[in-house]
Amino acid sequence: MRTISFRRTAAPDPGTPGTPATPATLAVDDLSVHYGGVRAVSSISFSVAPGASVGIIGANGAGKTSTLKALMGLVPRGGGRITLGERDLTRVRARDMVRHGIGYVPEGRHVFPGLTVEKNLMLGAYARRWDDGTRSTLAEVHELFPVLGEMGGRLAGALSGGQQQMLSIGRALMAGPRILLLDEPSMGLSPKLVGEILNALKRLREEGLSLLLVEQNAKLTFGATSHCLVMENGSVAMTGTSEELSQDPRVRRIYLGL
Amino acid sequence: MQETLQTLVGGLSLGAVYALVAMGFSLVYRTMGLVNFAHADIAMIGAYAASTFYLTHRLPFAVAMVVAIAVTAAIGLVIERVLRPLENKDFDLMLIGTIGFGIVLQAVAILIWGTTGRAVRSPLPAAPLDLFGVRVRTYDLLVMAVAALAVLGLAWFLARTKRGAAMQAVAMDHEAATAVGIDVGRSNALAFSIGAGLAALAGGLVGPMLYVDASLGGALGIKGFAAAMLGGFGSIPGAVVGGLAIGVLDSYAAGHFQGYSVLVTFLVFTAAIMIRPMGVFGERTVSRA
Amino acid sequence: MKFRAATLGALAVAAWLLPYGLGSYSIHVVNIALIYALLAIGMGLAMGVSGQINLAQVAFFGVGAYTLAILTTDRGYGFWAAAVVAVLATVATGLFVGVPALRMQSHYLGIVTLGLALGFINWITNASVTGGADGISGIPLPTLPGIDLSSEYLYYYLELVVCALGLGFGLFVVRTSLGRRLRAMRDDSLAAGAMGAEIPLLRMTAFLLASLYGGLAGVLYAGLIRYVAPETFSIGNMFILLAMVIIGGRRSLVGCVVGAIGLTLVREWLSDFSTYAQLGYGVVVVLMVVFAPTGLAGIPSRAKEFVNRRRHGHGRRAEADDRARLRPFQPYEAVERPSSTAEPLLDIRSVTKDFRGLRALDDVSLTVAPGEIRGIVGPNGSGKTTLFNVISGFYRATSGQVRFAGRTTTTARPYTLSLLGVARTFQNLRLFGQLTVRENILVALDRTRTHTIWQYALWQPGVVRRERRLRRRAQELLERFGLADFAESAPGSLPYGIQRRIEIARAMAARPRLLLLDEPAAGLNGEEVGQLAGIVRSIRDSGTTVVLIEHNMGLVMSLCERVTVLSGGGVIAEGTPAEVVAAPEVIEAYLGDSALADVPRPQPVPAPAPAPAPAPEPPGGSPPPASPPSASKEASR
Repeated sequence: MRTISFRRTAAPDPGTPGTPATPATLAVDDLSVHYGGVRAVSSISFSVAPGASVGIIGANGAGKTSTLKALMGLVPRGGGRITLGERDLTRVRARDMVRHGIGYVPEGRHVFPGLTVEKNLMLGAYARRWDDGTRSTLAEVHELFPVLGEMGGRLAGALSGGQQQMLSIGRALMAGPRILLLDEPSMGLSPKLVGEILNALKRLREEGLSLLLVEQNAKLTFGATSHCLVMENGSVAMTGTSEELSQDPRVRRIYLGL
Repeated sequence: MQETLQTLVGGLSLGAVYALVAMGFSLVYRTMGLVNFAHADIAMIGAYAASTFYLTHRLPFAVAMVVAIAVTAAIGLVIERVLRPLENKDFDLMLIGTIGFGIVLQAVAILIWGTTGRAVRSPLPAAPLDLFGVRVRTYDLLVMAVAALAVLGLAWFLARTKRGAAMQAVAMDHEAATAVGIDVGRSNALAFSIGAGLAALAGGLVGPMLYVDASLGGALGIKGFAAAMLGGFGSIPGAVVGGLAIGVLDSYAAGHFQGYSVLVTFLVFTAAIMIRPMGVFGERTVSRA
Repeated sequence: MKFRAATLGALAVAAWLLPYGLGSYSIHVVNIALIYALLAIGMGLAMGVSGQINLAQVAFFGVGAYTLAILTTDRGYGFWAAAVVAVLATVATGLFVGVPALRMQSHYLGIVTLGLALGFINWITNASVTGGADGISGIPLPTLPGIDLSSEYLYYYLELVVCALGLGFGLFVVRTSLGRRLRAMRDDSLAAGAMGAEIPLLRMTAFLLASLYGGLAGVLYAGLIRYVAPETFSIGNMFILLAMVIIGGRRSLVGCVVGAIGLTLVREWLSDFSTYAQLGYGVVVVLMVVFAPTGLAGIPSRAKEFVNRRRHGHGRRAEADDRARLRPFQPYEAVERPSSTAEPLLDIRSVTKDFRGLRALDDVSLTVAPGEIRGIVGPNGSGKTTLFNVISGFYRATSGQVRFAGRTTTTARPYTLSLLGVARTFQNLRLFGQLTVRENILVALDRTRTHTIWQYALWQPGVVRRERRLRRRAQELLERFGLADFAESAPGSLPYGIQRRIEIARAMAARPRLLLLDEPAAGLNGEEVGQLAGIVRSIRDSGTTVVLIEHNMGLVMSLCERVTVLSGGGVIAEGTPAEVVAAPEVIEAYLGDSALADVPRPQPVPAPAPAPAPAPEPPGGSPPPASPPSASKEASR
């Protein structure tokens, strides 16, 4: 059973059987998405190197979420190829993606509202055995987001938006992923909470977890990633390092339709 | 007073059975959003199967019950598998599909067991107990105890086991459940077979209380259904409260309106559900429009 | 057309000659089959056409038969007088059973109606006035001058006439205004409400129709058998009736009739193996719902579709064949614009909308002047669609007030607003999937109220005349929007861009004063967006005020005079497009220059947000916007 500690810089807990993840690059090649007759995403390609943090930004309706969902297999993948390291994930079903080390934090958080925080987290580790390994991962999640420990017995639906976002991230971490896909983690959150989430993402990244961050909030994304893709009308309009893009006036034009 | 108490006690034991039927409905509804109209007929098959193993094969009542539950759980798996293509698509069609299965099960019951019903003797032949002047049949106490155990068991399963938690997660958000690695189809199949097993338990228990024949399902099912709605569809405590309420209402109506008890029960029920469509514990799941 | 008339004639002759070839028992079976056919038509009207799960049809049947039996045997009524009362009593029962439909739908309705049917069966089995389990015998023979109805052969003709009239009337309803609305309600009751269909009345109408047919069937049954007993009206028979409707095809009345007659004959034929027959129906019902949900009646069109798909390789566009194309939009005639000093058409005052603790709209105020094109933009989840839903009556504001054309409409229902002149489109297209494009338009064009359905009973020419008028206007509208080539297509078979245009045409059918467009450009290509802009401008020039939610900022910039920006449920900016895109708050909301500086309350600065050095990380929650980075400065003109 793979029990990957996502916190590798800190001294491992005595009970943690934390084996480091084998580094692997997530590569998406020529992925398209169609809904009915509409092409939502056309032939998008990118890769996320081990430990890298890549952002996909763009205005509403540019195809960011569709890209992520197709990557996860939650919507039919219309052609293209997805690999993680040597492994071909193109035909892997959505429910098995997590077993290949893909963690997914959906847009709008999608916690299980009627279950407790603790249960939500344990379900994050559904694909693993519930044993000491999961318990130590749980301890790590609690350390990352102390509020989840304090609120363990609360129903997830009763949490605030920010806490739900933390829970959603924590739930994805419980599976011990190699790469975390995040869809709009800042949506509807106050600046303070966005700051906290970003802090946590930064820590995860420092510990070697790869991140793929889909955001509308470009500025935030530039701060949290090293490379970005800017999507417009279902395809990639620009790519570059986050630093370059943050200086590029075209990004704003794409957003505001100027 | 005495009479009211007697009515109450009489209602509670049947109510416990309705609660079991309602719990099965609720479980399936909660996990799949499907109202299983064949549920009643599954309970009827359960009643027949249990009585056959008990009376004909002379198995102990408890063993007969377990075998009957296993048989009906298998039937539940078949139904779920056949209707799976319609899941999350056409709600009304699925509903009609389960009615179709109900017709099939009734025919099967008649083919196997014939049209004449059977009376099942009580496994507890002891004389009724006298509690504060109210006569309570020992079998009624057994039924209530078994029903209570089943409620606790289901609650334990949902609250304490990984599969139970997963089943609830599927109900709440099947996409998020898929993303954490839960096989939604398998979870639904499991829910369906547990629901069927609960129906069989209700059917088996009701055998010695009522007359077992092919129409048993109708009576049991519609009241179980009403119980589930009254308590709030999808809620386990709601199923229990609703079941007991319908049981008591039923027994009261039978005492006061004799032949019209069913009519009175359903008129009261319709009025109650009009006032509060989401039931006692229900959430806003009523009109999906 | 000729072919159809010939078929109809041949059928009529065959039906007329049928008794000559049948023995006395066979004609009895046929008579029973016709009664089931009537019942099935009623069931089809409620379930298939209107989407109301009605499992009390067999009780309607029983109410009709029993009322007649009691009145004739016990109260000394003549047959026909009793028949009239019986049908009326059944309709009253139907309306009573239908009341729950106002509060619940789908399976809830199924259970309640089934429960009431069970209650009815329980009552007739136990009451003394109904003769208990023995039922009532000695019902007098119906008399018609010159016709001896004791002969089952002649009774057949009576039934045939009633059935033919019943089917004809049913088809007339389905194909004209009322039925179209019922079908629209079935396909999408929300959208139907937004088109001005009075959903509560329509639901009651569905039960009225179902019980009318049930009552007629009951009367005919009592006259034929002259004896009623509870077992005829059992739940088992209810399910057989359901099987007839499903197997025949619930959406087609002809299918229902075929199913009813076919299944009755099969049942009779297999009467020695009735249990196997029942097993068979059950299996067929299950197979039908999984493999042929449209029933026997739907098989020809499915087969045609299949053949088309084979021939064209891909079925999606098969229907919109090569010659059919989207034609250019023909602009409306422009009218003079009202002066801008006029009273606002839409006035939203401090509207707040909460969903279970989540505040989707927070104190939103907004006024739209007549003749304006207003854009509403904002990031995902900023409350735009919620605002539309509040304006169009789908949601009720938690607090605040909505005024339209000088009237307070905060609590108005969608159909009321539609009648007042508010029309809308939907973000995820809510066309009526089982209706043709033309019918979609017709539903929206039809502004007659449901209470005018008395015309169906008493003055059918009025219905026909109105129908002709509507069809003429529908044709005009289809041509105006360039959709004439697709008039008879199913909307789902058409390309997305065309579906979007159909939605706009449908919303414009009623010539609204206010048109709400929810992301009209979503999924459109560049050329289509250009056409859309032209259409929206022309709509405005014709005197309709337009409010649109849109993400395509290019479109918003070119089209709108004023733009309101929502973020986090509140209005953060309003002005001309140029003003709005230059407003720092807007840039922040969109690009997150200062991570969500639109949250007004000051927040304690959290632990310094760590970020890679070059990109300035949002400094937590400093309330005024942080200085925009150079990129934005350069871009601002």
